[in-house]
Amino acid sequence: MNAPTTPIAVIAESPHGFWDEAWRQFRKRRLAMLALFYVEFLILVAILAPLIAGTKPIVCRYKGTLYFPAMGYYVPSWENPVFAKDKFRRVYPKNLKEKDPESWAVWPLLYQDPYRRVRDGEWEGQPGNPTGDSGKPSRYNLFGTNQSGVDVFAQMVHGTMVALLVGFVSEGIAAAIGITLGAVAGYFGGWIDSLISRLIEVVMCVPSLVLILALIAILDKVTIWHMMGIIGITGWTGIARLTRAEFLRLREAEFVTGARAIGVGHVSVIFRYILPNALAPILVPITFGIASAILIESSLSFLGFGAPPPNPSWGTLLSDGRRNLNLWWLTFFPGLAVFFAVLAYNLIGEGLHEATDPRLREAMR
Amino acid sequence: MVERPVVQLRLPPSLWAILFALVASQPWLAGCGPATTPTESTTTQGPDATPSSTPPTGGATGSSETTKSTPAAASAEPASEELVPYDPPPLAELDAKAGWIDQTVGDSLAMWKAELAQTKPICTVEEALSLENDSNEKNAKILSALGRQPASDSEVDYDATFNRHFGRDVKSTNPIMISATEEFDVAGLMGFGLFGADWRFNPMASKDTVVSWQTSADRMMDKVVMRKDCTWSDGKPITAHDVVFSFQTIMNPKVPVPAMRGGTDKLRWVHAYDDYTLVYFHKEALATNVWNLSFTVIPKHIYGESIKEDVTLQDSPTHVKYENEPVSGGPYVLSKRVRGQEIVMTRRDDWYIVNGQQVRDKPYFKEIRFRVITDPNTALLALKTGELDEMMLLPEMWQTQTSGEEFYKYATKAHGPEWTSFHFAWNTKSPFFSDLRVRQAMAYLFDYDEMLGKLFHGLYRQSAGPFPSDAWWAPKPYPEPFKRNIDKAEELLDAAGWVDDDGDGVREKVIDGKPTKFEFSIICPSAPERVQLCTLLKECLDQVGIVCNVKPLEGTVLIQKLMDKDFQAAFGGWGTGSDPDTSENLWKTGEPRNYSSFSNPEVDELFAAGRREFDREKRAVVYGRIHNLVFEAQPYTWLYTRNSFYAFSKQLRGYAFSPRGPYNYGPGLSAIYKVKK
Repeated sequence: MNAPTTPIAVIAESPHGFWDEAWRQFRKRRLAMLALFYVEFLILVAILAPLIAGTKPIVCRYKGTLYFPAMGYYVPSWENPVFAKDKFRRVYPKNLKEKDPESWAVWPLLYQDPYRRVRDGEWEGQPGNPTGDSGKPSRYNLFGTNQSGVDVFAQMVHGTMVALLVGFVSEGIAAAIGITLGAVAGYFGGWIDSLISRLIEVVMCVPSLVLILALIAILDKVTIWHMMGIIGITGWTGIARLTRAEFLRLREAEFVTGARAIGVGHVSVIFRYILPNALAPILVPITFGIASAILIESSLSFLGFGAPPPNPSWGTLLSDGRRNLNLWWLTFFPGLAVFFAVLAYNLIGEGLHEATDPRLREAMR
Repeated sequence: MVERPVVQLRLPPSLWAILFALVASQPWLAGCGPATTPTESTTTQGPDATPSSTPPTGGATGSSETTKSTPAAASAEPASEELVPYDPPPLAELDAKAGWIDQTVGDSLAMWKAELAQTKPICTVEEALSLENDSNEKNAKILSALGRQPASDSEVDYDATFNRHFGRDVKSTNPIMISATEEFDVAGLMGFGLFGADWRFNPMASKDTVVSWQTSADRMMDKVVMRKDCTWSDGKPITAHDVVFSFQTIMNPKVPVPAMRGGTDKLRWVHAYDDYTLVYFHKEALATNVWNLSFTVIPKHIYGESIKEDVTLQDSPTHVKYENEPVSGGPYVLSKRVRGQEIVMTRRDDWYIVNGQQVRDKPYFKEIRFRVITDPNTALLALKTGELDEMMLLPEMWQTQTSGEEFYKYATKAHGPEWTSFHFAWNTKSPFFSDLRVRQAMAYLFDYDEMLGKLFHGLYRQSAGPFPSDAWWAPKPYPEPFKRNIDKAEELLDAAGWVDDDGDGVREKVIDGKPTKFEFSIICPSAPERVQLCTLLKECLDQVGIVCNVKPLEGTVLIQKLMDKDFQAAFGGWGTGSDPDTSENLWKTGEPRNYSSFSNPEVDELFAAGRREFDREKRAVVYGRIHNLVFEAQPYTWLYTRNSFYAFSKQLRGYAFSPRGPYNYGPGLSAIYKVKK
């Protein structure tokens, strides 16, 4: 009775493609899955930041109309102008009550602002944030406050967006450039290969930190996007080299020769035939790249050249903490956040590597 | 036999101002966290350079009239012109027509003692040593009890070593090559000079080196008779020829003198009529001439020949030798120098004892050791273990790291007001800030209470205008500082045409037919303390619909932008010179360091008039008027004046705070002593 079952199972499994198989393998790795969940959690926190910590109502009814002032945290001009006109001066709780007793509002979980100190009497029953060295973690400031009295928890929640974006955007740019150039170099070989290889070597010599410092001096309004751009533009070399190596190997494969023989164009061969087969080993350095981009952003902020102030960022908090080691909460919580984010990406990278490399998979058994 | 040191610092007071400002401008000293490089300019706008100096970094564009060479720049600014030789008439002829008026030849320590004698200490030494300095009242007690001079010589430990803290090493030990604070400190101990000033900035000649000092009735000449018992540490007498030689060396355009040329270049000539009689000739009769007399002196017998081979005074083997073993004309001589670690100065016995007779006061310390520790936290640890006897504290160190038994075991601390004030500078040529009403609105919008109370913990005072309120040249009555008034600010902004018409929460105005949003950048040094203030401004402006982008910049870039007037708003600070005239290059129309492009013909004329007025009362009226005119125009929003914070060993006595901190005034360092254990 048992005999037929096994072959059926094999048949049922066999149509699984490479990626399905990789995902199946990935899921088996508990740490990697945990890391993936953690990153998903971070993404959620980043998107919902204004609902978690903020001083602007998520929804409020004011003089008969519904408003969403918390949107101002995403784009400043999304904050409804009616409040500016009515001289709210960015302080909602008191003014809502005073100017329209009928009004109601749904507030973020925590009344704290990542950009400024909450003053005395803003929120009933909540004292103003302490400044200087007295901002220990407390029930109002879960992770304490920095020396200007801005809540650390609020800054960390709002800084998650920066940390994640830096990773994704800069590595996205790096991957786009790296894969394209590496693929072209590996596929065509010859003088194109030499040219691109030399270009890779030149770019590897450019220190991205110095470039960023130079950029800050030139640009009038430096934003986090410029930084992502530069990290991306200088960080594609490793990816390009790997892609090139994969392409050098795969262009000799039979299926490529076959495709070429039936007249498939170069672009198509590169992107539709070879790339999907070369992608697995490339994904791994990209994941590691995201982790290192987060570190670069943190170290830039730590040096004081990160996201322009007062934009909350984990690195900025760390740099605040460096000035006075007594304020341990300024180093501890953001340090943990950076550590776990980097660790999570590295675990995902590791998991991907193991899941997509059959030799490693065999070794695991 | 009176025994007391007159380690008098005989340097041009205007230069002291620069120095002082440099202290302020060292990023880590100024309370902005450790700096990776000692770029003087990272702290403030034109760093905290004084009005009388060009900014320490890259300020080679100073105007000819007010140029001080860049105090901290490695390369010196070339002198604008070669010294024109002058053949002065014989002394008899001068004496006949000059109508000499005697000037003060004083002893600042004796004067300081007399000043102290008029008051009684408000608590005992024991009580003062047991206090933890956490209030202004306790600070006053500590200064009052520990700032006294010794009742008798037996109290003083004349064999003591004073371990001072240096945030960085000196570049040169040659007294005419000095530019940074540390170099002034070293040169102050072993340089020879004839003039100084007391703690109230009253100029005087030092009785240690000068017999008499007279000024001609037309104020075009100063005549000085030097003492005959001054010697260099190699035994050669110090004569008037050394002074003349030093003057000519400083003014030699080929010699890369970094800071000394400022002020000295206003002298027409210095002439030695015999070995001990000097006459200084001025170019113009000005009240500020007296400050130009004091330049440092180097020995002619050492450098007279060698300078012909090596004009840099640094490079040739002879000069390298004297760089490491300089010949001293002051009370101390350099006995050990380990670059990057320490500089040890030893008391010169032949300075105060000549031919077996004590002719000058015995300096209190046998040895003064400058220890170079760049990281302030490491320095603080050294202080806590008693390895250092003093250091300047950062404000946050004062707040958080200097309390409890661990700190008070060996040390105590004190603070005093300093004449360094900070501000937001508005570029009056930019479309945003050309309107007085907008600048006034800015002053009304800023949250001073938050700044003073929360960011600075009540340690600083709010300032109102260019001159310090306790200087003799401050206006009486002193203007009231601005108070926060958002409603008034909004009225002013509306009246100036800045209103939010399109409902995006940001004010606009139609400029040249184009609607322009009120969005500007404020540039500041990338030190946390400065960024915090700019961020607070951003928060305040955000409440009324003005977008302010904070842009921290690296020091040299910042100075360049300020010099080019390529900015809209900037955070900055200025130190104070010993004479209000030094502020002219901040406020006169068209001056390169008039960053706001402020222009008022009346102010220009008043500065010119103030220089030519010799009566102090009348000068005070002139400068008071300038203060009020500038304050009314609000080219800056004035923020606060800073205090200096110091930690001192519990063994130290005799310190006091001048507007330039505890050392850089008369008597300053020479009043400080250690008690016997």
